[in-house]
Amino acid sequence: MLARHYIGESWKHGLLIIGALIVLIPFYMMVSMSLKSQQEIQSISGGLVGAQEIQTFPVCTKHGYTEEVCTMRPYKYNFWFAFKKAPIPRYLMNGLIVTVSIFLIQVLIALPCSYALAKLRFKGREFVFSMVLFCLLIPVHAIALPLYVMLAKAGLVDTYAALIIPWTISVFGIFLMRQFFMTVPDELIDAARMDGMGEYSIVWKVMLPVAIPALLAFAIFSVVAHWNDYFWPRIVITGNRDLFTPPLGIREFRGGIDSDEFGPMMASIVTVTIPLIVAFIVAQKRFVEGITMTGMK
Amino acid sequence: MHHSKAHIWFVWPAIILMIVILILPIFLAGGISFTNYNLGNSSFEWVGTENYEKMFSRKTYIKMIISTATYVLIVVPVSVVLGLVAAIMLNSLRFGADIYKTIFFLPVMATLLAMAIAWEFTLHPTLGIINSFLANGCGGIREFILGFHWLPWVSSEDSWYSVACANNMDFPYWLKDKKTAIWTICFIGVWQAFGFNMVLYLAGLTSIPRELYHAAEMDGAQSTWEQFKLVTWPMLGPTTLFVVTITTIRSFQVFDTIEILTKGGPAKTTYVMMYAIFEKAIQQNITSIGAAITVVFIIFIILLTFFQRYVIEKRVHY
Amino acid sequence: MGTISLKNINKSFGSTEVLKQLSLDIQDGEFLTLVGPSGCGKSTLLKIIAGLEQQNSGDVIIDDKNVNSTRASKRDLAMVFQSYALYPHLTVRKNLETPLKLRDYSFVERLPLIGNFVPSRKEKKKSIDDLVFKTSETLKITELLDRKPGQLSGGQRQRAALGRAMVREPVAFLMDEPLSNLDAALRVHMRSELSELHNSLKTTFIYVTHDQAEALTMSTRMAVMIDGELLQLDTPSEVYNNPSSLRVAEFVGSPKINTFAAQISSDGSVEFMGIKLERKFNTNSQKALVAVRPEHLEITKDSNKPAFEATVSYRENLGSDIFYHVQVDQSDFKIIVRGSPQAGLISNGETVRISLSHAEAMLFETSGERIR
Repeated sequence: MLARHYIGESWKHGLLIIGALIVLIPFYMMVSMSLKSQQEIQSISGGLVGAQEIQTFPVCTKHGYTEEVCTMRPYKYNFWFAFKKAPIPRYLMNGLIVTVSIFLIQVLIALPCSYALAKLRFKGREFVFSMVLFCLLIPVHAIALPLYVMLAKAGLVDTYAALIIPWTISVFGIFLMRQFFMTVPDELIDAARMDGMGEYSIVWKVMLPVAIPALLAFAIFSVVAHWNDYFWPRIVITGNRDLFTPPLGIREFRGGIDSDEFGPMMASIVTVTIPLIVAFIVAQKRFVEGITMTGMK
Repeated sequence: MHHSKAHIWFVWPAIILMIVILILPIFLAGGISFTNYNLGNSSFEWVGTENYEKMFSRKTYIKMIISTATYVLIVVPVSVVLGLVAAIMLNSLRFGADIYKTIFFLPVMATLLAMAIAWEFTLHPTLGIINSFLANGCGGIREFILGFHWLPWVSSEDSWYSVACANNMDFPYWLKDKKTAIWTICFIGVWQAFGFNMVLYLAGLTSIPRELYHAAEMDGAQSTWEQFKLVTWPMLGPTTLFVVTITTIRSFQVFDTIEILTKGGPAKTTYVMMYAIFEKAIQQNITSIGAAITVVFIIFIILLTFFQRYVIEKRVHY
Repeated sequence: MGTISLKNINKSFGSTEVLKQLSLDIQDGEFLTLVGPSGCGKSTLLKIIAGLEQQNSGDVIIDDKNVNSTRASKRDLAMVFQSYALYPHLTVRKNLETPLKLRDYSFVERLPLIGNFVPSRKEKKKSIDDLVFKTSETLKITELLDRKPGQLSGGQRQRAALGRAMVREPVAFLMDEPLSNLDAALRVHMRSELSELHNSLKTTFIYVTHDQAEALTMSTRMAVMIDGELLQLDTPSEVYNNPSSLRVAEFVGSPKINTFAAQISSDGSVEFMGIKLERKFNTNSQKALVAVRPEHLEITKDSNKPAFEATVSYRENLGSDIFYHVQVDQSDFKIIVRGSPQAGLISNGETVRISLSHAEAMLFETSGERIR
């Protein structure tokens, strides 16, 4: 009986391993290209890491660096040259500024609103809530064009504001928090009122700490979505490199596939992609929980 | 009751933002779609339904609708079924489930744009490892398996693999060939989406009470298939509904892979709606037609979610 | 027929032994209750009988057939679960039909659409409809047949779950704490209904509960299990009046039985709290425990009766009975005495004299075995 179990399980592992290999192919390609030299990439040789022979890189010398500076192992060269060619730290910084601002403003707007919808009685509450439900149907990407027209008219194209404003209202966040607050007992709020707290302090001193698990889930959802978002920045940032978010940076590195060298290009892509992937692998449980929790409404 | 006016300050910022950022643009798009307005022009004229007529008569836009529909109709069912199958398999494993889960979830987390570039190189006819893997397999076991030689009715002349081997390694150009481009884009879409579905299904599976399986067993549902039919599938109804809806909405919005990999080509076979909006309205500055596509797009999505929320939901919830 | 025998059943989860060498014979048509505190292994035992759990060693024999390697679905048993485990997406009618269809329809007949064209299915469907109707009439749930479980009250769900078990006319019914999710009043009511149902069906019932009141009221025999062992298997009155060990005596009966440390003289006479028991016991031990149920203690005003003094610390008035928690010797040692309301109320803090009915006092070794 046990033996049967193991046979039953091994065919599953077989299938899953094949699936995992297919899923990992592009990751392998990305990492491998960022480590190898141009010749190895073009001849598809050298396995994952390549031979790592010390050599002088012609593209580097063409850029005016001395031959001495341009002589090193391929992996080192790829990453070194990537940083020389593009302001990668700036892109990462922009990504951080944008995602964190979006998240903070979303919470600032959504938290009091969801508290009011869940726990306060006022005229029109049902109407506001149905408005939230309706707005849940509208993906911001779908209305990107009219939003862009509005921002252009306001002269905000090519600013941080343009990157942030459309995302300041997260109806999804309101909905999620409201559902969460519905489960918080009224006694907790009544007790806070008995202690003499006003509604403002209740929101920030009582409800906020209570909502930490939901907020964390929402934070992961929000940060992942906006860190990876390419469509919106592509529209509103037209040329100002100082405002490039990581995906815009990635696009720029790519340039034309036939030009330049692939190694440094992939190195920059790896650098920009890695923070989120590392964060995911480190806090995997939280990420999956966050995505599931926000996913299951 | 409590007579605080706090709710005004709590609710109004959200209401105003909802109106300005989410609702107003819909009307704006609606308005622009009946004009010949272009961003930068100071004046415009009302043109009635001209933009919509163009949309439903010109070949380009017909192709746009075909490629969007193809993408959605492939990616949604395949990624949902794969997600479900993976979840059920992982759920039944004694060990190793966590590793697979991490791997399958990686594409969901990773910046899609970066992964699109990685796929571009992976599928590249001369630099990519896919075609070199295929070329190295000519005459070997790979040709046998992937060339479907194990099917009794497939001969060397019929097998795509053997034909490519014989013709000087003429393997597909994937993204560059109009016969394969949309399927390759769909494949990347599935690759990216199914891990998300899997994770939701895993959560759905753990919430099914074990006693229901016991009851099914006592009632005589012996095979795994019978139990799946009687318990698992119906109990996953709400999850399936949600997964299908969200995957559909996301598939409608596919953009990153298209812009990086095909730019709508070759021969507009991958010219999906979001890319059309981007190309027409942003790159070519034909705002009005972009607005018309936007309106059609929004109507699609809102109808779809309404359908989900008020029609199907009644049937899957108990 | 419906005899079930368990022979030397062992079961452990990892290193924890849940069932230890347990043997049990269940007769045809009896209402047997497996009762014990939570974690005693009774539910596991039920699942082993059902075939939902595999024992590590030992045999399960149903109607003289060893079913160790028979799957649950083939053992012809029906089970009522604690959570009812009704299929939430199916109506009550469909829930009741499911076990019948799964058993009676062939694979082809079960297919959607195509199945409808198989001629034999029509006949079977008719007999299934009849059975479902008959069962629903018995349980008075006919009006509920087209509702889904989510639209039913707890009691109605309970009936639907019973119905699903009954339609099939199984060899025996297995019930895993079926009443524990009901409110108190309904639970008492369902006890009598289940007993009536058992009387009319005359099928074997195996009923798991942690509630000794359920076991005492419903069963023809009860099996008291503690820590994975079967301590006593007897009729409810025998278990209550004549427990085989102190653990059984303490588990069965509410409020709990009182125990006193006692000295035994060489001639077998027993003395505790200054009272000498009228009966003599045959034992070599010098120390033992006397156990007396609260109703066999009496607050007496008769100064001639042998008695001991105690102080009332808490009065528990249940209307028909009054239980006095009394403190003995100024120590923390507390016992419970039943008083009758007719005798008048005694206030907290009063000192009373307590005597006992000697015939009902039981003697146990300090290790717990009964001394007769």
